[in-house]
Amino acid sequence: MDKIRSNIMLCGGTGCIASGSLKARDALVEELKKHDLADEITVTLTGCNGFCAQGPIMIVYPEDIFYEKITSDNIPLLVEEHFVKGRPVEKFMYKEPEKKSAVPIMNEIPFFKHQVLRALRNKGLIDPEKIEEYIARDGYMAAAKALTEMTPGDIVEVMKDSGLRGRGGAGFPTGLKWEFCARSQGNLKYILCNGDEGDPGAFMDRSVMEADPHVVLEGMIIAAKAIGASRGYIYVRAEYPLAVERLQKAIDQANEYGLLGENILGTGFNLDIELYLGAGAFVCGEETALMRSIEGKRGMPIPRPPFPAQKGLWEKPTVLNNVETYANIPQIILNGADWFKSLGTEKSTGTKVFALTGAVNNIGLIEVPMGIPLRTIIFDIGGGIKKGRIFKAVQLGGPSGGCIPEDHLETPVTYEDIMNTGAIVGSGGMVVMDDSNCMVNVARFFLDFTTDESCGKCSPCRIGTKVMKDKLVDITEGRGKEEDIELLEDLAHDIISTSLCGLGQTAPNPVLTTIKYFRQEYEEHIRQGWCKAGVCTKLSTFYIDEEACKGCTLCARSCPQQAITGEKKKPHHINQELCIKCRTCYEKCKFGAVKVGPVNMFEKKDKEVKV
Amino acid sequence: MSGNVLVVDDEPVVLKSCDRILTPEGFTVKGASSVKEAMGLLQNGDFDIVITDLKMPEMGGIDLIRWIKEQNPATGIVVITGYPSQETIKDALHLGIIDYLPKPFSPALLIDVASKAVSFVKSKGVEEIKTEEHDVSEKANEIKNVIDTNRNRPGGLIPVLQQIQEILGYLPPAVLRLIARGLNIPVSEVHGVVSFYSFFTMKPKGKHNIRVCLGTACYVKRSSEILAKLKDLLGIEEQEITEDKKFSLETVRCLGACGLAPVVVVDHDIHGAVDPVKVSEMIREYD
Amino acid sequence: MAKLTIDDLKKIKEEYKEKTHLREGGYRVKITVHMGTCGLAAGSREIMDSLLDEIQKANVTDIIVTTSGCAGLCSREPMVTIEMMGEPPVKYGDLTDEKIRKIFREHVLEGKIVEEYAIVRGCETSY
Repeated sequence: MDKIRSNIMLCGGTGCIASGSLKARDALVEELKKHDLADEITVTLTGCNGFCAQGPIMIVYPEDIFYEKITSDNIPLLVEEHFVKGRPVEKFMYKEPEKKSAVPIMNEIPFFKHQVLRALRNKGLIDPEKIEEYIARDGYMAAAKALTEMTPGDIVEVMKDSGLRGRGGAGFPTGLKWEFCARSQGNLKYILCNGDEGDPGAFMDRSVMEADPHVVLEGMIIAAKAIGASRGYIYVRAEYPLAVERLQKAIDQANEYGLLGENILGTGFNLDIELYLGAGAFVCGEETALMRSIEGKRGMPIPRPPFPAQKGLWEKPTVLNNVETYANIPQIILNGADWFKSLGTEKSTGTKVFALTGAVNNIGLIEVPMGIPLRTIIFDIGGGIKKGRIFKAVQLGGPSGGCIPEDHLETPVTYEDIMNTGAIVGSGGMVVMDDSNCMVNVARFFLDFTTDESCGKCSPCRIGTKVMKDKLVDITEGRGKEEDIELLEDLAHDIISTSLCGLGQTAPNPVLTTIKYFRQEYEEHIRQGWCKAGVCTKLSTFYIDEEACKGCTLCARSCPQQAITGEKKKPHHINQELCIKCRTCYEKCKFGAVKVGPVNMFEKKDKEVKV
Repeated sequence: MSGNVLVVDDEPVVLKSCDRILTPEGFTVKGASSVKEAMGLLQNGDFDIVITDLKMPEMGGIDLIRWIKEQNPATGIVVITGYPSQETIKDALHLGIIDYLPKPFSPALLIDVASKAVSFVKSKGVEEIKTEEHDVSEKANEIKNVIDTNRNRPGGLIPVLQQIQEILGYLPPAVLRLIARGLNIPVSEVHGVVSFYSFFTMKPKGKHNIRVCLGTACYVKRSSEILAKLKDLLGIEEQEITEDKKFSLETVRCLGACGLAPVVVVDHDIHGAVDPVKVSEMIREYD
Repeated sequence: MAKLTIDDLKKIKEEYKEKTHLREGGYRVKITVHMGTCGLAAGSREIMDSLLDEIQKANVTDIIVTTSGCAGLCSREPMVTIEMMGEPPVKYGDLTDEKIRKIFREHVLEGKIVEEYAIVRGCETSY
């Protein structure tokens, strides 16, 4: 073996592959060969780095240099400069928004600086398809410890003491769940992993499964020992082909190495794990529905009790944990409960991974200690709102969550505090919205989702959400009535208290939180026929503010209807008869001169003139 | 001719002679001397045809035929009878047997009847999955294989549907019937599962399948406009296919590539940060 | 592949740590080989090879090697800069295969600067 002097880690997550990282990898290998560097510099395709919007991402070790948006075209210059001549290339480095200077070192980039990596500790540092690289970073050491030095009771105690709570949404204490199942009688028990990441706007679990598939297996081995399970399934969304591929490879490798199967590590412990592909039903994220789906049936929830810990998959005692929960477990076993509790708050310990998306500058996957204020996440890590826009709300918890406004941004991210705002931590989707988003429309979007995904078993969810959605459609299309807001609130509370499963019980949250914090917007829609964000096209009129317009002609050039007229350097004008309200001018204008008025603003004017 | 044959008769000599005649012809032959034994063998094995006597002590051949039609209707049945009284044969024919052998029969007749019955059973499977839109019979073996390997797997229905949809691109009704028969579950249940999960589709897809992500991050970045543009451009609605069968359009609830929002996936290519204005250019690449 | 025991697991861990340690951060010595046009012409490529060979032989993992462009003293190429943690960097010039191996053993491994080949102590650093 030749001495390796440098490792190039190129991100091979779904996002970066879509942006061209595979081509860049091929070009890179080719170029290194050309310069006769292939023996001393390695190229590794890693899992998701997290900073997806800047992809493809490349990190060069040992210098720790971070490059973004690396395409195959950039490779010759990069290799020549960095690897032959040793001059890191500023052109490809990250630049802070509104600042010109490049930030070369990964951990100095604000996006990464505030993060603490635990569940994602191997992200970007290992080749997910090589079990040895996982082992090199203490992989399977926790499983070895659990299998040889600990009794099931010891493991449950450590988990309970750590305070780890389910990262999939509900936040139920993991150790407690294991204890219930460990106490259940039965010679066959199942350990399941929920990788059916259904919340739109969330991709934490995809990232873990792609970047570090073995950590999921190791977590499952430890859990299996704790509850006495001998068979396991990982339920993954079929929409995540790369995660499926990497997990299957990981399972095959672990079987080959005797880390799964019979007599694991020579300890006499047996565990078989199989992959099971979901088929696209949001409700299958609910545990009883997921189990029905593995049984090959329609994924419909069943009432609890009996709880899965007593009667789960095929009526056998079963524990289901989410991917991120498993990713935390090996480190807890190795470092102890106190280490885990050293971060976070008393009731919400450790770290949590969030998918930060939407109107922020830095989009991607982040892991932060629990208890960090929302503001730090959005404005320090996320780099604030894109230029010229104003923060309006952050949506947490997907269709089960809610929208949190500006004056609650100091709220620390813990299960309890977020719950008090009306949202939930959920699985970790965090979508930031600016003033170009209409909150009534956002509520409609989520109800659209839940009505579509309701399994139809219980009527409060099946019919109730449909009625709510129809009301919201009415409001966004100008048919709203004054009493609709109260009706929505009323119905929401009924659905929450009478639905069978978590999907229905949380479905009204997006509506309730938007009414709570943005009631004025609902009223504007109903009373004035005005969607100030210009999203509900039936409730908006686009016009140009003559004083703000600089006559740059950009809007006129981009209008697909040629509805905008005006001379250069003179105020432009929108012909309302031609306007299709596509918002193009509104988004293109650099001076904020395109404004949104109520739907009947010109009719009114006419009337006023007449009067 | 190859095929799995089960012979059921209470006279050992009949079992023996059938074995001696059919095995050299390439058939795999098993014998059962009672209906009970036959049921046991049928539960654990896969037989193309069953050749059964009608008059036997305890349970008779008609009971066996009824049981087979319930358990695995795809199995072909041939009846042997020494008493070809019109009534019993009528009963048997009513239950859907393929043919019958009057006792005593010549080796040539046995071979002829068995061969015809086996090829009838095999062709029936293939014939049935010729669908309205496509002739998928060339994939018939692949499909049969998927069903066979998952037959005894608990919860095997969804993986079977996934694999067959991967092969055919969609799940035509004829294939659903075939799966139901192969896995021994009611067609209604198969249909129930197919219609429950959004991943499954009973409509064929275009040469290029376009999926527009409607997840929150994409919604916030106006993927609905992209969808509207695509509908307009292709002249189809969601879940539809263009007349020239080139494109089909679907929506998905988040592909987990939120960093690239809004996202459109064409076949296996992910297009990130899609500009509604440039959608037509993107589609042209595939035209 | 045979089934692993816990000892095998530890062995794999040690073996692969060797290959991946560069990513872990934290190193004792950083050696920069100047590989501008002048350096390459003067033979810095061979110096790099000798250096990597020595590191391999010494089986140490706390040393990182990087390259940089011209150090601005073209007449003294091939050159390397050696930075021990917490000490000012030292530049060596007019290197040969023999000299770099000696520098590696004495300076990098034992901490004694090889005065006779050293050009300068302490200067600019680069990332």
